[in-house]
Amino acid sequence: MKLDLTARLTHRAGRRLTALAAATALVGLAACSSGGSDDGDAGENDAAAMADYAADTTFKATEPVTFSMLWTDWPETPITDSWEVFDEIEERTNVSLDLTNIPFSDAVEKRSLLISSGDAPDIIPLIYTGDEQQFAASGAVLPLSDYEEHMPNFRKYVEEWDLGDMVDNLRQADGKYYMTPGLQEVSVPTFTLLIRKDIFDEVGAKVPETWDELRDGLEKIKAAYPDSTPLADGFEGASMLNYAAHAFGTVAGWGFGNGTFYDEDSGEFVYAATSDGYKDMVEYFHGLVEDGLLDTESFTAANDGSGTVTEKFAAGQVFAASGANGTVNDFSTALDATVGKGNYEVVQIAPPGGEAGQVVEPRNFWNGFMLTSEAKNHPNFIAMLQFLDWLYYSPEARDLLRWGVEGETYTKTDGKYTLNPEFSLDAFSINPDAQTDILKDLGYSNDVLAGSTESRALKESYNAPQYVEYIDSVLSTRTPRDPFPPAPLDETELEQASLLATPLKDTVDTNTLRFILGERPLSEWDAYVGELESQNLQGYLDLINGARERYADENG
Amino acid sequence: MVSTDVTRPVDERAGVPVGPRDSTGYRLFTWLNAGVLVLVTVVILYPFVTLLAQSFSSSGAIKAGLVNALPVGFNLETYRVVAGDDRFWTSYGNTVLYTVVGTVIAMVLTTTFAYAISKPHLRGRNALIGIAVFTMFFNGGIIPNYVLISSLGMKNTMWALVLPGALSVFNLLVMKSFFENIPRELEEAAQIDGLGWFAIFTRIVLPLSKAVIATMILFYSVAYWNDWFTAFLYLDEDNLFPLSLFLRNLIAGATTTTAASAAAAGTTSAAISANIQAVTMILAIIPILCVYPFVQRHFVSGVMLGSVKG
Repeated sequence: MKLDLTARLTHRAGRRLTALAAATALVGLAACSSGGSDDGDAGENDAAAMADYAADTTFKATEPVTFSMLWTDWPETPITDSWEVFDEIEERTNVSLDLTNIPFSDAVEKRSLLISSGDAPDIIPLIYTGDEQQFAASGAVLPLSDYEEHMPNFRKYVEEWDLGDMVDNLRQADGKYYMTPGLQEVSVPTFTLLIRKDIFDEVGAKVPETWDELRDGLEKIKAAYPDSTPLADGFEGASMLNYAAHAFGTVAGWGFGNGTFYDEDSGEFVYAATSDGYKDMVEYFHGLVEDGLLDTESFTAANDGSGTVTEKFAAGQVFAASGANGTVNDFSTALDATVGKGNYEVVQIAPPGGEAGQVVEPRNFWNGFMLTSEAKNHPNFIAMLQFLDWLYYSPEARDLLRWGVEGETYTKTDGKYTLNPEFSLDAFSINPDAQTDILKDLGYSNDVLAGSTESRALKESYNAPQYVEYIDSVLSTRTPRDPFPPAPLDETELEQASLLATPLKDTVDTNTLRFILGERPLSEWDAYVGELESQNLQGYLDLINGARERYADENG
Repeated sequence: MVSTDVTRPVDERAGVPVGPRDSTGYRLFTWLNAGVLVLVTVVILYPFVTLLAQSFSSSGAIKAGLVNALPVGFNLETYRVVAGDDRFWTSYGNTVLYTVVGTVIAMVLTTTFAYAISKPHLRGRNALIGIAVFTMFFNGGIIPNYVLISSLGMKNTMWALVLPGALSVFNLLVMKSFFENIPRELEEAAQIDGLGWFAIFTRIVLPLSKAVIATMILFYSVAYWNDWFTAFLYLDEDNLFPLSLFLRNLIAGATTTTAASAAAAGTTSAAISANIQAVTMILAIIPILCVYPFVQRHFVSGVMLGSVKG
C-alpha cells in the first residue's frame, strides 16, 4: 500500500515530472551497462570501523568521520542550526552527517534526479518498499544483503520480531535486497474506517465488527437521517476498497498491487479481480449504493485528499468515512466549526471483518534506507554500515531519535516514556505549553529518521491515547494476512509484466466502479471476466507463477 | 500606434448619442454583452475572493467548507504567523532578486539579439534564426541539462535559475518582427546625422519600442516569478529557495498529510492549515497583481503588433 501512496504523490506532480521520470529511466538504462559489475567484497574500506561491533552496543567510529546523507525538509518542521540531534549523534558515534537538503514537495523526483545524475549523497533515507526497484535494476544502489554481516541489530530484530519472510519479499530477481526497511514490531492498517460514534450510539447501532454490521448501522442512520448518505471515501474508493478487500479475501484499491493473490489451496497466484471474493465485495458495495447508503460522489470525484468528504462529515451528510489518524483531527476541526466542541465523537475503528474472517492487511515495513553504489568506495564504508545499523535498528538510537537524551528531555521508567515538562512535542500534542519543542527546536522526532524502526512500546509512547486504543483493538481482534511468497521478476519480465498488467488494471478499475455504481449490471460479471481473459490474463499469471517457482527452486 | 492615438478621441465621442438612436436589437446586444462579460469577470475573480476570505478565516471553518466570499471566524493571526516566518521573507527576497536580475539579463539578450537578426543585410542571419528556433523544438533533456549546469558550477547559485531561461525564443521572434516594422528611413536619417549602430539602437529603436519592451518585461518577470521547476532542480539549500518553491512545499505539505505523511504512524497536527496556505498565496501574488494593470495596456498592443505584422 505504501508503494501506492507514493504513486499518488507522483501522479499529482504533473506532466513535467513524468517527463523527468522518463528521462531518469533512460539514464538508468544507460547506467546499467557501466555499473553493477563489481561484487560486494569489502576490501580495504574498513577504516574507523569497530572490530567488535555487535547488536545492542553503541557504535563509535574509532576516528571522526563524515558521511553524506539526503535530507527531506518537511515544510512545517524545517531543519535549523539549533537541531541538537546531529550534535548528539556526533558525540556518541564520532560521525558527522553532511546533508543535502531537498524540499518535501516532489522529493521523490528530486531523489531520482540526484541518483541518476550521480550527484546523490551516499545515504538515501526515507525509502519505502518498492522505491528501490528502479535503482536496483540500473546498479545505482548497493545490494545491502551482501553486507548483512555488518548489521547485527538489523539481523537481531528481523529474527526477534519474526520478519524474515517479509525480508525475503524484498529480494529482487537476483536474490538480493537493495534496501533495508524500517522494522515494526507491530503494524496496523494506516487507513481505516472513521465513524461518528455518537450518531451510531444515538440510532442504537453498535460499533461495527463486520461489514454486515456496518450495513445495519448505516441503515439505521439512514432511517434517522434520510437526507444523508452515511458512508463515504475521500480517495475515489481506493482506500475503502483496500481495507475492505481483506475481509472478502482479496485485494483491491490501493492494495491491488500487481493484481495477483496467492491462493493457498492451489499453491499458485490467481488474479484477484476475477475471484469470488472480489465479486462479493463489489456486490456488497453495489448494495450500499442501491439503498443510498454510500456517497457515490466520493467514489468518483478526483479530489485531493478528502476535502469534500471533510465538508460533508462536518455538515452531517456523512457519518463514516475512510481516513488515517491525522484525518480524525481534520474531521474534528471541521466539526468544531459546525457541531461544536464536545458535541460529537469521531472514532477510528479496526477495519471490519467479513467472509474471510477478521483479517486485515499483512504486516508492513516502514521507511528504511539504501546506499548509492559510490558508497562502496568510501574509505569508511564498513563504519558507515555499522553506523546505519546502529542508527536505524538499535533501541538506543531509536529512543534518541524519538525522544532525545534520557534524563535531559525525557525519562523512562518501566518502559514508559515521559517527556520532561519543560519540553513539548506539538506534532503529537504533548506538553503543548512548554517552551522548547523537541522537534521544531531540537530535531528529535523528525520525519526523516524517527519514524522508521519502532518497537511496540516506542510506537505507543508518543501517539494519542485513542490511536493507541486503535492499535490495541486491531492487534487483539484482527489477524494480519500472511505475506505472499516472493515472486521477483527480472528486468525483461518486469517490462513484460507492466505491459500486461496496465491494461488489465485499467479494465478492473473502470469496471469495479461501474459495477458498484450500478452502471453495469452484475449479471455481466462473466462477460467482464472474459474481457480480462482476452487481454492475456493467463499469460500474465504464468509470468508471475513462473517467477515464484524459479525463486522457490533457487532459494529452497 | 501614433495614428491610433490621434484618431481615438473622435471615436470615443461616439459614446455620446449624436446620430440616430441605436436600434433595439443593438441595445439588447450591448446589454447581453455586458451581462456575459460581468459573468466572466465574476468567474475569474471568485477564486481570488475566496482565497482572500480564507486568508482571514479560521482553519476549522475552511475545512468545514463554510467560507465562500466572506471570511468566517475573522482573524489576522495567520498573517502575523506567516509574516513572522523568516523563511517566508528570505524566499520572498530571493524571488525578487531572481526576477529582477533575470529579467534584466533576459531583456538585454533578447533586445540585442532581436535587433541584430531583424536586419536583412546581416550575413548568416537565417542561420542564426535557425539556431534559435531549433532550441524551441529540441532540447537536451532534463538530466543532461542538470549535468551541464552542475559541471559549470552553477548549482546552488542564482545563475542556475537566471541564465538557462534568459532567452526565450518566442519572445525573441515577437521582438524581431516588431523591430522589422520600424521604418528603415528613420535609421537612415539617424545614420546621416552621424549616429552609430549602437546609438541608433539605444536612442532611436528602443524608445520607439516601449510597448513591446513592456510586454517582454512582463512575460519574463512573470515567468521568473512563477518558476519553481528550475529551482527545484538546481537548488539544494533552502536559504536560496524562491517563493514558488517555498509555496509549493507548503501546499504539498498540506495536501499530502491526509495521505502519505499522516500515514507516518499517525502524525497528528503537523498539517499546514488551509488558512496559512491562503495567506502565503495572497502575499505571493500581490506584486504581480499590482504590476499587471499598468503593463496591460502595452501588453495587448505589444503582442498584437509583433504577431499580425510579422
